[in-house]
Parts: sequence; structure tokens; C-alpha cells
Amino acid sequence: MPIGFQILDRALRVIRFLLPILGLLLVWELAVRTGLAQAGILPAPSTILARAVELLGLTGERAVLFGHILASLRRALVAFALAVAVGVPLGFLLGLSEEAQLWVSPILSLMLPLPAVAWTPILLVLFGPGDLTIVIVCFLGAVFPVLYSTMQGVRACGRQPVWVVRSMGGSGLDVLRRVLIPSSLPALITGFKLGMAHSWRTLVAAEMLAALTSGLGYMIFAARSYMDVSTMFVGVVCLAAIGMLIEHVLFGTLEHVTIHRWYARDAQTGGRQ
Amino acid sequence: MSNVEKILSDPVGETATLAPKPKITAEGAGIRFGSIVAVEDFTTVIREREFVSIIGPSGCGKSTLLYAIAGFLKTTSGVLKVDGKPIVKPGPDRGIVFQEFVLFPWRTVLRNITLGPEIAGLPRAEAEERARKWIRLTGLGGFENAYPATLSGGMKQRVAIARALTCEPDILLLDEPFGALDVQTKNYVMKDLQDLWIAASKTILMVTHSVQEATLMADRVLILGARPSRIVADVRIDLPHPRDPLDQRLGRYRQEVTEILSAEVDRAMKGERGQ
Ligand SMILES: Nc1ncnc2c1ncn2[C@@H]1O[C@H](COP(=O)(O)OP(=O)(O)OP(=O)(O)O)[C@@H](O)[C@H]1O
Ligand SMILES: [Mg+2]
Repeated sequence: MPIGFQILDRALRVIRFLLPILGLLLVWELAVRTGLAQAGILPAPSTILARAVELLGLTGERAVLFGHILASLRRALVAFALAVAVGVPLGFLLGLSEEAQLWVSPILSLMLPLPAVAWTPILLVLFGPGDLTIVIVCFLGAVFPVLYSTMQGVRACGRQPVWVVRSMGGSGLDVLRRVLIPSSLPALITGFKLGMAHSWRTLVAAEMLAALTSGLGYMIFAARSYMDVSTMFVGVVCLAAIGMLIEHVLFGTLEHVTIHRWYARDAQTGGRQ
Repeated sequence: MSNVEKILSDPVGETATLAPKPKITAEGAGIRFGSIVAVEDFTTVIREREFVSIIGPSGCGKSTLLYAIAGFLKTTSGVLKVDGKPIVKPGPDRGIVFQEFVLFPWRTVLRNITLGPEIAGLPRAEAEERARKWIRLTGLGGFENAYPATLSGGMKQRVAIARALTCEPDILLLDEPFGALDVQTKNYVMKDLQDLWIAASKTILMVTHSVQEATLMADRVLILGARPSRIVADVRIDLPHPRDPLDQRLGRYRQEVTEILSAEVDRAMKGERGQ
């Protein structure tokens, strides 16, 4: 395919993706304008946009949105990075050792469905409000999905691919580098996606409870005191949009250059060999 | 039956003049998993450049035996030796082709095949040089940059064979290498393998379910009995290579092997009912 055609194709797909969202916004706008919905509780998208522009401004008293976004992103990403740093190596160890798995699996199945926000009050008692508490809560939200997916990915590899490398005289490092890591990469990416999503979700609640001055969660919660519904909506929209961008742009690209290329044909037919 | 008896009384072909050196020696080798005896008392000698086929009922321990020779599993009794030395671990002197191919989906055809030389520490250019020879001989030319997911079963099989051969092993271990192929592709790959064997002069040990495959390709067919398995017959196929599948003499060998095999399966079935 020529490059120009590819770009066009991509642009069309982005438009196709945005179309239902634009439709929803249109219906919403009309509902508010015709008085079907109460503007005091559900402000029109145009009102929210105007507020967003105000908040986004580089100068002025209310130009605070960038600061909040950056604060939130920083916390969520630090927590996610920590979760990967802890979850991936631990996942490899557990995936390789049956014995360790028997011990850790029951604990994992308890921790996995537990909403990490529940830890916030306890951590508040320990560390007080602030970044440390928020990052730890987000870390707890992200680490278990990362750990679990990594473990599953390593386990699913099976012994024969390892044997292939062994029979070529490969060392333990060769097995790790050439078999275990690439073969568990699809599961790893799934784990990263889940981990980042959990980190992002947990963040909002944690910020509402534990943030002192910044973060989107803080912004939404603080706007409550002034009944400033538009600002709350700006916060909600930012959370949704950033979450979507991370999932689609960041991890989508990662998947595109790895898994989609390797399993190109099977992606169309369903299964994977 | 006379042929079989003759060979049974002389299992290692000691009377053959100028016999090549023993390559794989099995002395009462046995492998058990807990209480399950997968292989019991396996004794034979496979000589250099011999093409030996192993045939036997399902579950009689053929794959297990091959894995032990490859060095993936340990014998629990007896000894397995290669070049007179007991097998302790896998090594590049023994290449294996699994029934399920076991290609690496994240590597292209070329990168799958250069894996062995890469692990051996060869520079990339040299690794590719070596791989290209086997890509050409296995008819994979033009597919170097394809990912395994886009290949047909027959082509995956050939990649697996090329990958094993690029490591230049002395011994090639094949586990039901044609199981997943349709008849057309199978005949094609079988012909390829015979040519490769003649060109590369390797020792080949091939596990199969098919009497036709075994008799067409092998110098010797080892027939394993149902569990606990031992060698019940060692049939030498005394015909020059490459063989014509329609050869009358080949038909007689086929019949002989089939008879021994069905007698063994019958015995196994009766034994199971008797229990
Ligand atoms: N890891 C294992 N643990 C326990 N039992 C095993 C294991 N591997 C194989 N076995 C048992 O050993 C026996 C021989 O298995 P093997 O796979 O070698 O048979 P096979 O001759 O290759 O059969 P097939 O022709 O169906 O491939 C079987 O009864 C099997 O259940
Ligand atoms: Mg088998």
C-alpha cells in the first residue's frame, strides 16, 4: 500500500471511531438546549467546552487544568512503573516455579478482585494525605493484574519451545531472552493495559480522599464546594479522554509493532497457533 | 517371520561387514513417571548414518524415548549413550523436530532458522549464510521474511526441519514429522527428507504411526510393543535409496511390519480386557 493511502485509511478509521462520540455529544447538546435536561445538573457540551478553554488557558486565575492533569498523570505513571518493576520479575519467578505458584495463587485470587481504593483510609492513617499515599494505592491497584498476566503468560509457554533453545545449546539466559520474554509478550501487554487502567481508575478515588492541592480527582471533588458542575464535567471528560488515549495510542502502538505483526493471519481467522 | 527371527537373534547387525560406528547405544534404558512406566528395557544400537524408524501403538513411549535421547528427560534405569558417552543434557549434536513444529511466531522464517547459529554465537551474516543453504534445499526460498502464522502446515514443517538442520546436528530426531500433513504435502516432504538424508549423511531416528512411512524411508524399523514397551521386532529394510513406493519388495516389507504390529495391538487389547 502506498504511504498516502495508508494515512488516508488511518484518518478514515479515526473519523469512524469519533463519529458515535460526536453523535452522543450532539444529542446531549440538543437535550439541554430544548430544556429536556436541566442545565444546572447536566451542563451542555458547549458550556463544558467553554469552561475547559477557561481552565486550560495559560494565564488567568482559573488556568489550573494543565497542572491537575500533569499531577494526575505523574502519579498514575509512577505507580504503574513501580507495578511493572515489581510485577513482571515476580510474575516470571512464579510462572517458572510450580511450588511458588501453589503458595501464591490463593493470595492472588484474594487480592485480584479487591478494589485497591479500600486501602486508602489505612494508608492515610499510616502516611497522611499526599502523593505517597496516592501512589501506593494506585500501585496496589496496578500490580496484581500485571503480576497475574505475567505469570499466566510464562506458564502458557510450555516446555517444548524451551527445549528447542536448549537443544541448540542455549543457556538459561537464552531461554529467558529468546523464548520466555517474547512468548509471554502478548500476556504482558494485556497485563500492562489492565494495570494502567486500574492505576488510572484507582487514582481518581484516591485523589478525592488523599490529595492536598492537585490532581483531576482533587479538582472534581473541590468543585463540589462551589456547586461548579461544569468544572466537574471537565474533569470527568479529561479522565475519560486521557484513559482512552493511553489505551489506544500507547498500548495500541505497542501491540501493533509486536503481536499484530506476528499473528497477522490468525488475527483474521480467530485462533492462534 | 524368518527374517525377523534372524534379526532378533542379531539385533545390532554384528555380522554386517564394515559396519559404521555405533552412534546411539541404548542399554536397558527405562523411563518412568511416578508409577507409570513409559519405556522399559529399551536396548538397541543405531549406527552412524543409519535411518531408523520407531513404530508402535499409541502411548507406548515413543515420544518419551525421543525426548530422552534429545536429553530433555532422564532415564530412570539403564543407559542411553551417544558416541559412547552417556547422555546428560540436550546439545546441538542432536537436532529435534517436534510433531507440533514449535516454531517461534515472533520470528520470521529466516530468523527461526538462524536461531541455532545465533545461539552458537555466529555473526548474523554468517548465520544467514548457513540458513540460506537449508532454505534452498527445503524449498522455502521467497518466504524468508514471512511470519510462521502465514504459512501452511507443510511449510511450517519444512521450517522446523530446516531449523534443526541448520544447527548441523549429527543426529536428527523426528517425532511423527508428517502427522499434520495432507497426503500430497506428505509425499512431497517425505521425498525431500530422503534427498536431504542422502545429501547430508545424518543419523536419523524417526517416530511414526505409519507403516508406509517407516518402510519407505528407514534402513531399520523398530517395532515397539504396547506398554510396558520393549522392542518386539527389528526389521531391516534391505532396499537401496531412494525407494519407489510402488516397489513390490517394499510391499512385502510393509506386510511383514503390519502383521507384527497388529499382533502386538491384539495382544495389548486382550491384555487390557483380561485385567
Ligand atoms: N510428563 C509425563 N507425566 C506422566 N506420564 C507421562 C508423561 N509423559 C508421558 N507420559 C505417559 O507415558 C506414556 C508414553 O507417552 P508417549 O507420549 O511417549 O507415548 P507415544 O508412544 O509417543 O504416544 P503417541 O503415539 O500417542 O504419541 C503414556 O502412557 C503417557 O501417558
Ligand atoms: Mg508421541
